[in-house]
Amino acid sequence: MTAESPTIAELNAPPVRFCFVVHAVSRLHRGIMGVRSANMGLVGQWSDGTHPADVMRVCSLSLAGVAEGMVLAVPMVPEDLLSNQERAVERMQQAVELAGAVDAVGLGSLCAVVGGRGEELASRLSVPVTNGGAATAWAILENTRTVLQHRPSGRVAVLGSRGPVGRVVAASLAKEGVEVCVDHPRAAKGLDVQSAMGPAAAVQGCSVVVGAGPTGGTLPGQALGRGTIVVDVAIPGTIIGRPDPSVTVLAGEAVTFPGHWNRGVWGWLYHVLSGYGPAQVFACLLEPLVLASLHRETPFSIGRKLTVDDVAAFGVAAAELGFRPHLSRGWRSFSPSQLQISG
Amino acid sequence: MSYHTNLEPAIWSKVQDAFAAALGLEEDEIELDARLIEELGAESLDFLDIVYRLERAFDIKIPRGGIETTALEETDGVYEVDGILTEAGLAALKELMPEVPAGEIHEGLRVTEVPELFRVATFYNIVAHLIQQKADGAADDSGVSNDS
Repeated sequence: MTAESPTIAELNAPPVRFCFVVHAVSRLHRGIMGVRSANMGLVGQWSDGTHPADVMRVCSLSLAGVAEGMVLAVPMVPEDLLSNQERAVERMQQAVELAGAVDAVGLGSLCAVVGGRGEELASRLSVPVTNGGAATAWAILENTRTVLQHRPSGRVAVLGSRGPVGRVVAASLAKEGVEVCVDHPRAAKGLDVQSAMGPAAAVQGCSVVVGAGPTGGTLPGQALGRGTIVVDVAIPGTIIGRPDPSVTVLAGEAVTFPGHWNRGVWGWLYHVLSGYGPAQVFACLLEPLVLASLHRETPFSIGRKLTVDDVAAFGVAAAELGFRPHLSRGWRSFSPSQLQISG
Repeated sequence: MSYHTNLEPAIWSKVQDAFAAALGLEEDEIELDARLIEELGAESLDFLDIVYRLERAFDIKIPRGGIETTALEETDGVYEVDGILTEAGLAALKELMPEVPAGEIHEGLRVTEVPELFRVATFYNIVAHLIQQKADGAADDSGVSNDS
């Protein structure tokens, strides 16, 4: 999409199609998924979600006139996904087949991790598969930039810096002149950043901390100084234990959507159950939508492949479609002006 | 499980490939005695990726929580108390992880600290062991079919 007027062919073009594959985060979640598909085995918990027939549609989404999508679920809980990745990839493939013809496939949560971070599924499909890394990095970066505008920090710690998202976040912030400390010396290789061994050491002296790892539970709350702002995308969260009450933890991946973003009742419920509340969407869900709308054939992120340029390209396109990263605490919007007061 | 005194080049090469791909490193950065977390910077989800790539490369199934599950079995369930390894737990771990210097498996070691002991050699040994098991199984199977 460009600033130029669309051509007649573009105006008449049908919306692009995408799908997004997720999994159940708990047995309760799996049971609720069973209600949607009238699968009493899942509701009653006598089916573990690994049977081929358990793969299901969760909800439909659309960006009027631009894209139509579908969220599909492999109702396997994390333990089942991780204990048999081969089977998990097979079920994810079945889920994509359920969606019919699509222009791009996105992966959410642990579906983006199993099978070589999406590489195995990508090798089995003829459409691009993208694992959400670019969207996540874009949202963290934009949200961190907002925090830094209101709370200029001497130094920002980037945790999870060995992962693709953490590396891009550290590289981008450093390029913008921010003093960055990463949590492993290997992550500093080739970047103009400082490093420390481990999260607790990395956050020392930092008033802004970015939790960019896919999973958390790595940073003791007591390691954070008073008034620290944590922008976190890890699930579960980066912090273990209770930090000082003056510490503010913000969701790093929340995005607001334009008025023509439609998700219906099931889509609304899916977002609420996923923890993002009624007025937000998580960034990684947008990655296949943006990929398809650009008619791009190479994913923004797959395996460990993620570049600063791809994150920037994703961000420009997502913003043009009307999506905006958004500071929040849980479901509630968080005004950046509160950062100055609490500091 | 045998220690890697006789490194098999064909296995080692694939192990190096799997680690390099999973961790985004060059193959020559993957050394047998490198500690996964401290030296190679592996994160928890990288372990999953490593296991998956090794399983695919060697057509084997690496049991989830293999070392700790085996240690738990060998100690009749007295592997740890309140998250700290028991004497029996430490002894089982020393036997199962001969590639780890004995001094690192010390009194007071926490269960949560065990992954920090893992070396590339830990996975090499698991893979070599499973390949041997598979070969033994195949030999047994072929013996049965010959007899029948």
